[in-house]
Amino acid sequence: MRINPTFVPNIIADLQQSQATLNVALQQVATGKSVSVPSDNPEASAEMVQNTIESGEVDQYTQNVTSVLGSVQSADSALGSVVTSLTQAVSYGAEGANGTMSASNQQALAQQVQAILTSVVAQANTSYQGAYLFGGTASTTPPYVASSSSPSGYAYNGNSEVNSVAVGDQLNVQTNLPGNQIFSNSGGDVLGSLSSLASALQSGNSADIATATNAVSAALNYVSQQRVFYGNAEGQLNSQETYLQQETVNLTSQQTSLVGVDMATAATNLSSAETANNAAMAAAAKVLPDTLLNYLSAPS
Amino acid sequence: MIALDVQDRKIELEQHLQLLRSLACELERAMKAVAQNSLPELEDSIANQQVLSARLSKLANGLSRDFRETTAPSLAHLDRDLMRQIGVASSTLQKLNQRYSALIQHSSRSVELMVSLFSSFKGQFQEGSAPRLKHQTWSCQI
Amino acid sequence: MGGLNTSLLIGVQALEASQGALAATSNNISNANTPGYTREIVDFSENQMNDTGSAVSGGGVSLDNLQSVRDELLNLQIQNQTSLQSSVNTQYSNLQQIQSYFTNSGTDIASALTAFSTSLTQLSATPSDSAVQQNVIVSGQSLAQAFNTTAQGLSSVQSEADGQVTQTVAQINSLTAQIAQLNGQVSQLAAAGKDGGTVQDQRDELVQQLSTLTGISVTQSDGGETITTGNGTPLVMGSQSFSLQTTTDSDGMQHVLDSNGNDITSSIQGGQLGGAIQIRDQEIPGLLSQLNTLASQFATAFNAAQAQGYDSNGNAGQEFFTIPSGTAGAAAGISVAITDPSLIAVSSDGSAGSNGNVANLSAALTTALPSGQTAAGAYANMVFQVGSDTANASTQSTAIGQNLLQLTNQQGSISGVSIDEETTNLIRFQTAYEAAARIVSTIQALNTVTLDMGSTQSY
Repeated sequence: MRINPTFVPNIIADLQQSQATLNVALQQVATGKSVSVPSDNPEASAEMVQNTIESGEVDQYTQNVTSVLGSVQSADSALGSVVTSLTQAVSYGAEGANGTMSASNQQALAQQVQAILTSVVAQANTSYQGAYLFGGTASTTPPYVASSSSPSGYAYNGNSEVNSVAVGDQLNVQTNLPGNQIFSNSGGDVLGSLSSLASALQSGNSADIATATNAVSAALNYVSQQRVFYGNAEGQLNSQETYLQQETVNLTSQQTSLVGVDMATAATNLSSAETANNAAMAAAAKVLPDTLLNYLSAPS
Repeated sequence: MIALDVQDRKIELEQHLQLLRSLACELERAMKAVAQNSLPELEDSIANQQVLSARLSKLANGLSRDFRETTAPSLAHLDRDLMRQIGVASSTLQKLNQRYSALIQHSSRSVELMVSLFSSFKGQFQEGSAPRLKHQTWSCQI
Repeated sequence: MGGLNTSLLIGVQALEASQGALAATSNNISNANTPGYTREIVDFSENQMNDTGSAVSGGGVSLDNLQSVRDELLNLQIQNQTSLQSSVNTQYSNLQQIQSYFTNSGTDIASALTAFSTSLTQLSATPSDSAVQQNVIVSGQSLAQAFNTTAQGLSSVQSEADGQVTQTVAQINSLTAQIAQLNGQVSQLAAAGKDGGTVQDQRDELVQQLSTLTGISVTQSDGGETITTGNGTPLVMGSQSFSLQTTTDSDGMQHVLDSNGNDITSSIQGGQLGGAIQIRDQEIPGLLSQLNTLASQFATAFNAAQAQGYDSNGNAGQEFFTIPSGTAGAAAGISVAITDPSLIAVSSDGSAGSNGNVANLSAALTTALPSGQTAAGAYANMVFQVGSDTANASTQSTAIGQNLLQLTNQQGSISGVSIDEETTNLIRFQTAYEAAARIVSTIQALNTVTLDMGSTQSY
């Protein structure tokens, strides 16, 4: 059995193979990726579609957490000031209810309480990054505006809606309480009770002052309870932040395992491929052009 | 040279005859091998011819000297028929040799022509697989 | 040994025979590079033996026809694999183009889906921010664009394949005409008892080329070769060829008809023609259908989510995406219907600042569509399908290539000509003739000696 004397196709096939291997190795080193097109690894490519979208979402959730955390902390801090102010108002009231106070002193206290009311309203109108925090979902105008028709002197201009912000695939966190739930609620009317106390101090009637002071005290408790919401929200957001950080790490490492390449390995592969390719070319160069005809000498 | 004994001489003459015939046979075999383009056969025949012709030369020279140096009466016992056969065989061999020589010369010229043609082509011979690669083809007419 | 005349005869015959044999060798060498050439060996027969009484001598030799060495079965196997490889390679190169539209490039559908979904998530945090709203519209436009580009890309590859059909049919017709003519010549030679030789080699080479264009079935009969397509449509019968035609069908594509006008498009397999038809009529329509279904269902779901809420002006949400009615053309035609950011239905109750409906908008991306997959899931399936079809084509091509190499190796060992082998023979002939010439001289010299021997005697 003769062997095929036309061995060129075999040599060419070998060369093409070693060239192709070299190209792949080069590309992997250059891009750091083992998968550039779907056919490189169809399953990995399909999984990467989901990974890409999920990675984008996790980044955005993280940003949402940061911005919502800011507004929640801001609201919490405002309510903290309100609690302090109300506590002060209560002590003014207690003072004023004491029958030994002079009328002018009572007047002075009334002014103080009036001033507290003004500052609480200012707190109620806190805005964070241009959005009013206590107007429900109406965030573009101040929730409390001066109104002569309102007993407290201020009318609520916001709504009773709440927003929940997406901070995770299955997680929306409520981010606000409406102002009329906190400051002008029947359960504890902050603005109303302050306004009443100021009036009572003005009138000098001890019984009225005492009653008004109790109302302010009740409002204080109420606000403290409402404030818990913001503390809880903060806690939730903080743990979500930690979770999202972990998710980012997971997604990144999934990406690497799907389409990435270990650079040290890639460099070694490239080196081997280059050596193999050079050897194939050298062998081909030796074998191809030599035929016996090169050695035939013309007859003399 | 000491004259050969009559009996020895007869044996040697018979050998001579046999060698002549064998050599003639080999020439025929060689010509057949050329016709069949069978190189191994040809090479084998030529090898045999070399051996045979060498032996024949040596034997013939010896016999020839012997005859020159032997007196006529001693040669009277020679087998006439044997000598006649040797003459015929020798003549046949020579004529065959002429044919053979002509064939060898002719074939030799053809081979040299081909060799010189291929040697003068300095280009690249790339061997392609049967139906696939397309390369320059040149042909020669002999 | 017979008489002198017999020897002479043998000599002359030998001379003539050697001429033919040398001609065969020279033919072999000069045709070493001819594609399809099969080496010739001299076919000899012994002439009848002469029986002349006391001695029998060989009748010498005479030169019979030259006979090409070929293995017909091997040829058929090679044709078969060649057709297959051609078809697979055609599909592979088309699939590589298709694949580019599904590769992560920044403008592909996956990238666009990512940008769109994150824009909605951002809207959730700041629903009233007009810059954020604007970003949703821009991302929506990029997504529609990605659908358009992918669909157009698939259509253009389909168009190219369609063009290939026309081209290949023309090439097939040209080849079958040539083959039929050569068949005629081969038959004549066969009728005269001669081997086909170079004519048959030429024809076989053309048949091999034909097999790269379409799958064929070759049978031998008295009239010569019969070549049909894989499912029996005649292409060549003996010295007659049958042309294929192309005609534009109602789907706008070129359909292939046999010489009687029957539509044989769906039965064509193998070769460039089979590969192009597979891509044009199976692979791409399948992908386009999935793409259109995805675009249509996604747009519908998103528009429905818009309708559930209210925009920043307090009005009920209107359509965000425009798609043609019916699924066909949805991917090529999808576009964003609104340009005013305030028309995005963020609010759940019409109140300003509410983001209540944004969750519904996002849900259009994370909830399963009527097809059973989310938008991302459906697209990921397509990526997987395109990727594995392409990878399979590549693997197949390599495997078939190796088969072919093996088969042609076999063929080469039977039929191939080795320059080295032939020239080695030349050198050996040279050497043998030189030795022979010396022996001729020796024998001539013997004559003198023998004559000497004889002259001392008188017979």
